[in-house]
Amino acid sequence: MNWEPLAIWLSETALHDAMVNYSWMFPMMETFHFLGLTVLFGSLLVVDLRVVGLVKFINMREAMSYFIPLAIGAFAVNLISGISFLCADPYSYFPNLGFQWKMGMIVVAGINALWFWFGEHAELKQLADGQDAPFRAKVIALASILIWVIVIVLGRMIPYLEF
Amino acid sequence: MDFLLWYEEGPIGIFIRESLWGYPITLSAHAVGMATVMGVVVALNLRVLGFAKGLSVAAFDKLFIIGWIGFIINLVSGLVLFAGTASSYFFQGTFQLKIGAILLGGILMKLVMNAVRANKPQVNQKSLAFACIACWTVGMVTGRLMAYLV
Repeated sequence: MNWEPLAIWLSETALHDAMVNYSWMFPMMETFHFLGLTVLFGSLLVVDLRVVGLVKFINMREAMSYFIPLAIGAFAVNLISGISFLCADPYSYFPNLGFQWKMGMIVVAGINALWFWFGEHAELKQLADGQDAPFRAKVIALASILIWVIVIVLGRMIPYLEF
Repeated sequence: MDFLLWYEEGPIGIFIRESLWGYPITLSAHAVGMATVMGVVVALNLRVLGFAKGLSVAAFDKLFIIGWIGFIINLVSGLVLFAGTASSYFFQGTFQLKIGAILLGGILMKLVMNAVRANKPQVNQKSLAFACIACWTVGMVTGRLMAYLV
């Protein structure tokens, strides 16, 4: 994939200038990225571990109607802060293996989330407290946790995979 | 001070400084553990603050175990990372603040749960939950800033 035109465009944005010219911008965005990650991962732990069956007495409908929007909000925070890192230094992110794999895994996580929403959500909403979720939903929920753990690890690896 | 140097020069310190992948892997474990423990802490406290009221706090109990697993991952990975430069981390203000905030955050989490179980007034529960989230956030931010404010 030819990323250079995008890198050129990103490095001409006002966000790029802000990230490069103010020394506090990068650490501040990193802090937001970590906060977002915490809220995102925490929210999906509530929903996914309920489905897996570990916290079976959490009300499924309530968990989904509050924690899924919260997870999406936290993802938006991380998308914005993530784009700011990319704007700061696109030429080191695009060829970085950690970054490439991380983006790939986020796409996988997105597909998994869509599958959960369109395939399982309606049925899960009907579950009574303490009732087991269908096996297929459990697999999706467990996959969701694993995929996001991999995303976190790959993100943390980015600085060490610069060649 | 002697202890710090002994720890830093011991096998764990040597491992984290000299092995090629030791540091990034331990740091990754620290990030996953952080997401787990803080994720559970934040979710639980948000519930106490009135978010997703239809969920019973008691139903969160087993989630708490997962939070503890995250905490233990971070205690272990944190001690390993600390071994790398124990003698300078120990005197770094951001590090001291981080450890203080996490200790206080842990105590507050316990107080929140006590207040919930004893059915204390909402205002007590909520102010404790708010302070608890604030402490853990300070712990996370100062941890992140340790890389910048040496």
